[in-house]
Amino acid sequence: MGAMTVDRADGRSANQLRPLACSRNILHRAHGSARWSQGDTIVLAAVYGPKAGTKKGENPEKASIEVIWKPKTGQIGKLEKEYEMILKRTLQSICLMTIHPNTTTSIIVQVFGDDGALLPCAINASCAALVDAGIPLRHLAVAICCGLTEGGSVILDPTKAEEQKIQAFAYLAFPNSPLSVLPSVPSAEDDGPIENGIITSVTHGVMPVVDYFNCLERGRAACAKISEFHRRSLESQVPGDLTKAT
Amino acid sequence: MNAETSDAPPTSLVDRTVVPGDTVLDLTAMANQTIKLGAGLRQDCDTISVMKAGKLRLSKPNKYWVESSHKRYVPCVEDTVLGIVVDCKPDNFLVDIKAPTLAFLPVLAFEGGTRRNIPKFEIGTLLYVRVVKANNSMNPELSCMDETGKAAEFGQLKDGYMFETSTGLSRMLLSSPTCPVLEALGKKLSYEIAVGLNGRVWVNASSPSTVILVSNAIMNSESLSGLQQKIMVEKLMQRLQ
Repeated sequence: MGAMTVDRADGRSANQLRPLACSRNILHRAHGSARWSQGDTIVLAAVYGPKAGTKKGENPEKASIEVIWKPKTGQIGKLEKEYEMILKRTLQSICLMTIHPNTTTSIIVQVFGDDGALLPCAINASCAALVDAGIPLRHLAVAICCGLTEGGSVILDPTKAEEQKIQAFAYLAFPNSPLSVLPSVPSAEDDGPIENGIITSVTHGVMPVVDYFNCLERGRAACAKISEFHRRSLESQVPGDLTKAT
Repeated sequence: MNAETSDAPPTSLVDRTVVPGDTVLDLTAMANQTIKLGAGLRQDCDTISVMKAGKLRLSKPNKYWVESSHKRYVPCVEDTVLGIVVDCKPDNFLVDIKAPTLAFLPVLAFEGGTRRNIPKFEIGTLLYVRVVKANNSMNPELSCMDETGKAAEFGQLKDGYMFETSTGLSRMLLSSPTCPVLEALGKKLSYEIAVGLNGRVWVNASSPSTVILVSNAIMNSESLSGLQQKIMVEKLMQRLQ
């Protein structure tokens, strides 16, 4: 762990994320929408629903989630299909599916720009859009991309150029760090059990186990920051129109 | 990791912004109390956790809910809403109230309603109705009567203009004391208004220009404070003269 200095093309340190930006409720007709950007990776997510009825083959006693991935240009390919699937599974695990049984919620993900870490950016965007639409959620999901360079050090949130050079990378999604009135939970362990959870892990390339755990640790620390960002952006945007009512 | 959670847990999150996953109440510490949960909260074993982002509110002594604003409406018993008839069945009218599923309005749910005097509503009719049944697994049920069986103000809204807003704005319009924008408009103009908690607002007045002015003022007021609303209405009034 000695060699922490990694030269990155954009001058960031290994643990530094690109600037985050999130704006919600930007589409007029969608029930919820969010634009999430990490540097030049920009994703717009729109949520429609819950709409009545589920597709054939889905369990009508639960809500169903549908994800549609729209690439920046061209047709949807195998990779995008895979992203759709991973995104769907991730969102299924954070949504409370029993609140609105026999309904479908559609999430449409439009890629504006891809400069690496596209899937984590899409997870963050869809999660913000679900919050905007008021879909009942168990907790939020925050996602991050961790890359392992040839030298064996871990870099966070790689750009497209870095992603192509590195030996392996992992897309990790964690639950957000919640506020809690329970005194026992945070003190029982170093951080509460919910923060030790992991929602999604997608790896690409060859990575020793030790480095994977290293990625997990770094990713979790970075996700705490992202979830803090998420909370702040909700504080500034959600209740703005309601405070003056009282 | 998070200083706020790990160091000192906040004693109360009331009137603070909460996001899904936050734990707002510990039931083990309040064993012999009855609490009432509203929108956005759920019980998770011995804790109450949040499932929608917004402000946590407490109405003393024991009602908790999360206040937020959305474009979709989740039906709740005793809410008054504006619905649009989409289909007429022999027993029910099917009414769109912006909920996940269409709502049923039984043809007999009118004051003095019998099989012989079933009202005739065309598709597209706007109704002011009350939600009488609402749960997850069934279509919501509506009624055009108040609890005592009187028609009250419920029923068809003729003429006028209906527009859609967020649920937060419609709640603000219904709040008491009267919302500043409605009060400021009411000083100069005479108009009729019906606000549904599902985010639909109907406005009627003697002249179309008044209807347009009132609707624009309401739609513009969503992100303004009370004082800003009054200023905005005054500016609109000047333009009218």
